[in-house]
Amino acid sequence: MLAIQHLSKHFGTLQALDDVNFTIQPGEIMGLIGQNGAGKSTTFHSILGFLKYSGQISWHDQPITESVFDEIGYLPEERSLMPKLTVEQQIVYLARLKNKSAKEIKPQIYDWLAKFAVKGKRTDKIKDLSKGNQQKIQLICTLIHRPKLLILDEPFSGLDPVNVDLLEQAIFAAKKAGAAIIFSSHDMGNVEALCDHLIMLKAGHVVLRGRLDDVRNQFGKTHLFVTTAWPQAQLEQLPQVVKVTQLATQRYLLQLADQAAGPEIFRQLTQGQYIEEFSQQAPTLDDIFRMKVGEANA
Amino acid sequence: METYLRQIKSWSFLILVLAPFAMLGLTVGAGYISGTSGQNSQRIAVIADQPSLRKQFVQQNKSDVKADVHSVSAAKKAVKANQIAGYLVLKSDAQQVTATYRGGQSMASGLKAQVETLLAQQQQQLNLANAKLSTTQAAALQRQPQFKQIVHQKTGSAKLARLISFWLLVLLIYMILVTYSSITATEIASEKGTKIMEIIFSSTTASKYFLGKILGVLLVILTQLVVYVVGGWASYLVAQQTAVSKAFIANNQDLISQVLGNLFSVNLLYLLLGVVLYTILAAFSGALVAKAEDASKAAQPATYLSMIAFFATFPFQNNADALMVKILSYVPFFSSYFMPLRIIDQSVSTGAIIASLVILLGSILLLIRYIGGIYEGLMLQTDDTSFWKRFKRGISYR
Repeated sequence: MLAIQHLSKHFGTLQALDDVNFTIQPGEIMGLIGQNGAGKSTTFHSILGFLKYSGQISWHDQPITESVFDEIGYLPEERSLMPKLTVEQQIVYLARLKNKSAKEIKPQIYDWLAKFAVKGKRTDKIKDLSKGNQQKIQLICTLIHRPKLLILDEPFSGLDPVNVDLLEQAIFAAKKAGAAIIFSSHDMGNVEALCDHLIMLKAGHVVLRGRLDDVRNQFGKTHLFVTTAWPQAQLEQLPQVVKVTQLATQRYLLQLADQAAGPEIFRQLTQGQYIEEFSQQAPTLDDIFRMKVGEANA
Repeated sequence: METYLRQIKSWSFLILVLAPFAMLGLTVGAGYISGTSGQNSQRIAVIADQPSLRKQFVQQNKSDVKADVHSVSAAKKAVKANQIAGYLVLKSDAQQVTATYRGGQSMASGLKAQVETLLAQQQQQLNLANAKLSTTQAAALQRQPQFKQIVHQKTGSAKLARLISFWLLVLLIYMILVTYSSITATEIASEKGTKIMEIIFSSTTASKYFLGKILGVLLVILTQLVVYVVGGWASYLVAQQTAVSKAFIANNQDLISQVLGNLFSVNLLYLLLGVVLYTILAAFSGALVAKAEDASKAAQPATYLSMIAFFATFPFQNNADALMVKILSYVPFFSSYFMPLRIIDQSVSTGAIIASLVILLGSILLLIRYIGGIYEGLMLQTDDTSFWKRFKRGISYR
C-alpha cells in the first residue's frame, strides 16, 4: 500500500503542497487531477524521492528508498529516451537499472511490441521511430519489469484514441496483476474510465477526494438534460433552475439549485405527454473540475 | 558500463586512440617510400679490374651499389637512363690503388667514406707487401691510436631527456584532460533536464549513477592508455628493426631510454588521477548548464582551468626548483602538471610525491562525494537563469 501522510512541500515562499493525505491499495487506481501547477508532479517527485518534503511517504509501511526502486514503474510527463540506442538496447538498459537481466527481458520484447502495436523493429534506433511509437516504447520501458507501484504522469497526452485504448488495457492488466497505480490526467474522460478514486489538487491543497461515484454524487443530481420544443426563456422560469445552456437544437442542460426540484420540473415540462429526453444526473467530472477551478479563481 | 561501451564504440574514441599511430605510420611510410624511390637513382655502379676488389666493395655496400653493372659502357648507359647516380672505377697495380668516380654530383659523403676506407686498406696492404718488413715491424705499424669518449648523463643527454620528457608529458596531460573533460561535460550536459534522468533516478540513486559515469570515463581513459602503452611499445620494437629509424634509435638509445623512463613512471599515475579530477569537474560543469542544448559550452570551466595550469608550467620548464612549482605540485588541478615537472627534474623526495598523491586522491574522493550528493538536484532543475542562480538552485533543489 502506498500511504501519503501530511505531505507538504514549499519552494522558497511558494507552498507547492500542503498537508496532502491519501492511500492506494494494491490493485487500485487513483487519479490525480488539478490544473497546471497544482502540485501533481511535485507529489510524484516527492514519492520518488527527488525532493525533500515534510510528512511521511511509505510503501508497504516502509520508507521509499533504493531498495524498493525495482518495484516502481515511472512514466514522466514529457517523454524522453536515448535516441542513439536501438529499441532493444533502450528497453534492456532501463530494465537492467531495475535489476532485471537482459536474458530475462529480451524474450519478452517481441510480445510487448506486438501488444502496443509498435511500428518498428527491435533493432531500429529510437530516433528513427515516429513520436507515437517512441511514446509506446517509453510505456513498455515503464511496464516491462512488472512494477508493483505504477506512477504515470499524463500517460495519455499525445496518444490517439486507438492508442489510448491500448494503454487503458495495459493499465487494467497491471491493476489485475495487483499493482497500485496513480496517474495524472487533464482528460477527465480517462479518469472516469480508469479510476477507482481520485484526488483533486488546487494550489497544493486537496479540494476533492473520494471514490468516483461518491465525488460526483456529493454535488447532487443537479444536471438535467432535456430535449424539448420549449424556448430557453421559458425553461429558465422552471423552479430551482439557475442556468440553462443550449447544447443542440431543442436540447438543453438545466442546472438546478436543488435536485429535489426534478419531479416538479418533469411534471411541468411533460404535462403528461411523451418527452424525448429527460435525464437528471450528477455533474460530470469535467463539470466538477471546472467548478472547482472556478472556485479557486474566485 | 553503458558509458564505457558507448564511448569506446564511438568513432571519436577510435580516431582519438588511433590517430597517433596513424600519424606515426604515415611518417614512417612516407620516409620509407621516399627512401626507396630515391634509392635507385642514388646507387652507383662499381667497375674494377680485380674481381676480388669489386666483390669486397659490393659486399660491404650492398644497398648503395647496383651490382649488375659490370662495365664502363653499361654504367654510362645506366647513368643516362637515370638508373644510377654515377660509377666508380677501381684500379690496382703492384704499387698503387686508384679510384675514379664519375657522376652528375659528388658522391654521397657516407659512401665516399666507405670508398676511402677500402682504398686505404688496400693501399696499406700493398705498401706493407712492398716494404718487405719483418713481423715485428709490420705489427708495430698496425698499431692504431685510441680514442675514448665518456659522456656524463647529467650534463649530456640527461638534460635534453628532461626537456623532451617535460614537453611530451605536459602536452599528453593537456590533450587527454581537454579531450575527456569535453567528452564528459558534453555527455552529462546532453542529459541535463531530460526526463530520462527522472526515469534513471527512479531506478538508482543519483550518487551511484554519477559514480558509474565517472568510472565509465575512467575505464575509457585506461583503455586509451593501455592502447598507447602497448601500441607505443610495439611501435618502438618495430622501429628498432626498421631501416629508416634503426640508426636513429641506436644513436639515441640512451636519450630514448631516459625519456621512456620519465614517461612510464609515477607520472602516469598523475596523468590518470588528473584526468579523473578534471573529469569530475567537467561532469559538474556539464550538470550546471541551463539546458541540454548548451552542452557545447559545458566543458569550458574544466578546459579553461586545464589551459591555465598548462600554460603556467611554461616558465618553469628549466626551473623546477622554484617555490611556485613546489606549492602548485600539491594543489589539486595543478599538481598533475607540476609534480611530474619535479619528478622529471629528480628534485623531489618520495615523501613529497606520496603527500601530493594523497591530497590529489583525497580531493577526488571528496569531490565525488559532494557532487554525487547534489547531482540529482543539479540534473533535475532546468531554470534558464544565471550560472550562480542555477548553482544555488541546484544545490538547494531537494
